[in-house]
Amino acid sequence: MTSARTVDRLSRILALIPYVLERDGAELVDVLERFGYTEAQLARDLDTVFVCGLPGYGPGDLMEAYIDEDEVIIDAAEYFTRAPRLTPGETLGLLAAGITAMEMGLSSPALASAVAKLSDLVVPDAGQTLSVDVAEGSGQASALKEAAASHSVVRITYRSVGREETTTREIEPWTVFTTLGRWYVTGHCRLVDDQRTFRVDRIKAMEILEETFTPPSDVPEPRAAYTPSPDDLSCVIDLKPAARWVLEYYPVEVLRESSRTTRIRFSSPDAEVPGRLLLRLGPDARLVEGPEVAARTREIGEALLAAYGAP
Amino acid sequence: MQSVVERVLNLLIFLLETPRPVTADEIRHTVLGYGEQSDEAFHRMFERDKDVLRRLGVPLKMEALDAWEVDFGYNVDPAEYALADPDLTSEERVALSVAARMVRLGGAPSGVEALLKLGGVERAVGLEPLGADLGPGSELLGALFGAVTERRSVTLHYRGRPRSLNPYGLAHRRGHWYLVGAGEEGERIFRVDRIERLSVGGDAFGFEKPKDFDIRRAVATQPWEAGHDPLIEAEVRFAPEVAWWAARTLGLPVPEEDLVARVPVANRDAFVGWVLSFGEHAVVSSPPEMRSEIRERVLAAMEGLE
Repeated sequence: MTSARTVDRLSRILALIPYVLERDGAELVDVLERFGYTEAQLARDLDTVFVCGLPGYGPGDLMEAYIDEDEVIIDAAEYFTRAPRLTPGETLGLLAAGITAMEMGLSSPALASAVAKLSDLVVPDAGQTLSVDVAEGSGQASALKEAAASHSVVRITYRSVGREETTTREIEPWTVFTTLGRWYVTGHCRLVDDQRTFRVDRIKAMEILEETFTPPSDVPEPRAAYTPSPDDLSCVIDLKPAARWVLEYYPVEVLRESSRTTRIRFSSPDAEVPGRLLLRLGPDARLVEGPEVAARTREIGEALLAAYGAP
Repeated sequence: MQSVVERVLNLLIFLLETPRPVTADEIRHTVLGYGEQSDEAFHRMFERDKDVLRRLGVPLKMEALDAWEVDFGYNVDPAEYALADPDLTSEERVALSVAARMVRLGGAPSGVEALLKLGGVERAVGLEPLGADLGPGSELLGALFGAVTERRSVTLHYRGRPRSLNPYGLAHRRGHWYLVGAGEEGERIFRVDRIERLSVGGDAFGFEKPKDFDIRRAVATQPWEAGHDPLIEAEVRFAPEVAWWAARTLGLPVPEEDLVARVPVANRDAFVGWVLSFGEHAVVSSPPEMRSEIRERVLAAMEGLE
């Protein structure tokens, strides 16, 4: 297997050559910026180009490529007058990025026309063929984005994910993003005096305060996943194949796996979440260990049976 | 010792410049960098280099040179190799590069490399903060998009069995990519990360897509709208503690107190699961079959506790 670095280098060279050829030489600074080169990297790639060409590989068969003061010169490379075509995966990546940015409310006339030109190349009716839905209905994500941009402190009423309780806290929002179909805001939480990530759909109410904050110079990568704490309750559950989706949605530890059963350890701050999960899974899961979870599941179950009428 | 980059460049030039298909043996004896290898080393090297060309987007064609398919010839058609240039203006390239840097697909900025082929971006922009993560992505996703745009039929293995279909479109919903296509069973939705195997066959533009097909309508917004159960309307009452949150999910105005909602359901299992995730705070009032389904499920769960 050839390394991704080799492929990246070749990819950049095959894009560079037609750019320089088209202009009969290009400005050095322009090439460095446009293709993300350092001068040393560019010199190395040009040296490589210089020793390649047509069979025979004599002086008249090789490409010419060098830096002349502040200019990049490439010649005798007519077979590379055009860059390679985009792969379907590359076109998809670009289109998906453009469509997503537009969906997120970052549309501009330039972006819209770029997406239209790109999609015209591959599929005349891209809007009916490719769709990315990252919309967030409540408008809270965009309000939080504005707060993050203006460094405004926000007071939120929040329903915790692990523990089914509602708290009010002040946060300093750094970034707002969407992953795996959910929106999150990450920032400094003044209630716990630490970095926290909140699910936007669980913010019941929010108020942007007049107070501003100074964001860290280097905002850490957001952590969306729930991090178990030593005080967590833990229980052991056997999942049937129909309930295997749980592995994708909760941060669980897989203890044992066979074609019929997956045994997991489920950690959470209280028994509420695993209790509801067990009821939702019905015959597709079985609690193996965890007396608190069993008790809470029974309580919710009794309440539900009362609501739905005993059999 | 010749570098891989040099060898692949020489190979590509040879394939672009030779108007007829050439055999592996000819390549070995003509292109600089292959010559001194043993048979086995050459074949390994050549396989790797073909893979590199494929990853670069080079349309490498292989055809049999005789009726017995003993000898194969390789060729790259310059017209097919060349980029179809969308002629972006510099503003358009900058806008696209900003978008590409904030959207991640497969853990990496989506499309930044591809922008180089389109001429790079004159004003370098730093990495934007993460805006949207469109999931793991995969080679399969790219191959499916190719099949969709070139209207080639595909065979995919899904839940343990093969299905042949005409792919119509791709959609990203709730964190997952979905493929919509029509096969023997009519129009169906497939989650891309659950496709076990894919082969793209058939001729380019080999089928017609229905004129009124729209991916946005074909892929539902809520999980319980995406199903093949007979469509019913369920009525649910949400207690005040969770009413605001359920209303938000359903796209309804947030109520002061509790919420009674009527919801169209095409996937009962997904809907019952969602209602039960509210514990005792959400109760289905109709239809009666769904009420008994929930009762059964709760009873089964409680039996599992002993």
